Amino acid sequence: MVSDSITNAPIPSAPNSKDFSKKKRANRSAKLKQCKLDARREQWLSQVAVKSKGCKEEGNCAKKERDRSLENPRRRDEDNNDDGSIHHESDSESPSNSPTNSLLGGGGGSGGSDSGTNFIGSSSSGSSISGSSSGGCCSGSITEEEEEDDDWEAVADALAADDDNNKPEPEPENSYSQSPSESQLSMQSDSTPELTNGLGLDSANSMTETESARMVPRISGNNTQAWRPDDAYRPQSLPNLAKQRSFPATNRHFGHGGVPWSRNSVLGAPSSCPICYEDLDLTDSSFLPCSCGFHLCLFCHKRILEEDGRCPGCRKPYEHDQVESEASVQGGSLTFRLARSCSMIARS
Amino acid sequence: MATVNGYQGNTPVAAPAGTAASRQPVNAPKIVDSQSVLKRLQSELMALMMSGDCGISAFPEEDNIFFWKGTIQGIKDTVFEGTEYKLSLSFPNDYPFNPPTVKFETGCFHPNVDVCGNLCLDILKENWSSAYDVRTILLSIQSVLGEPNISSPLNSQAAQLWSNQEEYRKVVLKLYKPPSA
Repeated sequence: MVSDSITNAPIPSAPNSKDFSKKKRANRSAKLKQCKLDARREQWLSQVAVKSKGCKEEGNCAKKERDRSLENPRRRDEDNNDDGSIHHESDSESPSNSPTNSLLGGGGGSGGSDSGTNFIGSSSSGSSISGSSSGGCCSGSITEEEEEDDDWEAVADALAADDDNNKPEPEPENSYSQSPSESQLSMQSDSTPELTNGLGLDSANSMTETESARMVPRISGNNTQAWRPDDAYRPQSLPNLAKQRSFPATNRHFGHGGVPWSRNSVLGAPSSCPICYEDLDLTDSSFLPCSCGFHLCLFCHKRILEEDGRCPGCRKPYEHDQVESEASVQGGSLTFRLARSCSMIARS
Repeated sequence: MATVNGYQGNTPVAAPAGTAASRQPVNAPKIVDSQSVLKRLQSELMALMMSGDCGISAFPEEDNIFFWKGTIQGIKDTVFEGTEYKLSLSFPNDYPFNPPTVKFETGCFHPNVDVCGNLCLDILKENWSSAYDVRTILLSIQSVLGEPNISSPLNSQAAQLWSNQEEYRKVVLKLYKPPSA
């Protein structure tokens, strides 16, 4: 179910739900109308450029209309995503689409989810299952973004034309996007990770929208990455996926390292090699040659391989655990090969 | 010694010096190696002095950090209670990749210590790990005093007597000569 949502959800969402939004949202302008409005906007822009005050009233009218047109493509995109995701995530509850859409108009409350939520939610759950699934998720959202690109460019042009209109826009955006998460909450049994992710992403998107309209490519980047670890708006409750992904060995170290070698804590071994007492750098501390979790620097490991060949922590031969460490710890395998090559150079 | 020979086969370049050094530490130390060994031994000395373990102590000889003198006190409620034994620790140049040579300077009536003071302890031979240090060595020896390995004794008389703890205690006290200075 989870992996399905990763691969499938973004792709069908775009064409399917375009029809959906047209049907369900008669009050909102369709794409055709939006094109007309865009055309009018350009006309207006050229008018403003050529003519002077005489056209001002007419221009203001067009401006208001354009504001509406600005909102429309964006909302429509999000409708697409929401429809697609909800439709997919709750296969058995396909009628839930209509309650979702009816909810969309409502507001109030805190938190919410928007276009990125599915992807982030699925990526987080996917990554916990297997690393490869996150790749599929990314590609999915990228194709999604590409579909959006046309609309986004239109929005971007419009936003760049008049920055004043930027500020109030996230407001309706937020209140509007809360409802999907509420519906998700009620519909999904495992909605908690989705919700927390959605919480974060909501403010992320509103931020990117207010920041600059020229950042269309960056928005797509944000959708795939969800949160940068140093992001000031990142909610505290959000699990730190980046850390888990990029430093698997470090986590393993703190998880396993302390238990069999309580002496390490006495000597402060996590910061220094227990063999040579030299400080461990980042590579060393993420280097875990043995499954017992005993840490040592690359130099000492190389030295031990040349002679004893057994882990100082558990006295098991390193050769034996080599395969396991290569399979489980990516960083470890990399540095291990390095150590091997070093030893070969030393011997020749 | 067999394992040491094994090392030699693996690393023809570095091992001969190391093999010789493991027995005679003063012999032709490599400059780079001795630097790291110095750092390790100095750190160990610091850790040992800061740890404040009761019943064990060790300190390098005056001008040779590769040669330490240590003392071990017999653990309470063992036949060695109230005794103190001097030891010598001689570190090889490839320490901690090879174990130090530990000898009893004080005569010790113990199944795993011979009359010359040589000590049979697996962690100082085939089960040596570079993660051991002076402190753990001394603590291990201290615990081995009270829990000897009877199956492979160096002092068979002591091994036979071990079952009779009262008699053993008498012999220990009779043979015990407090270390002078």
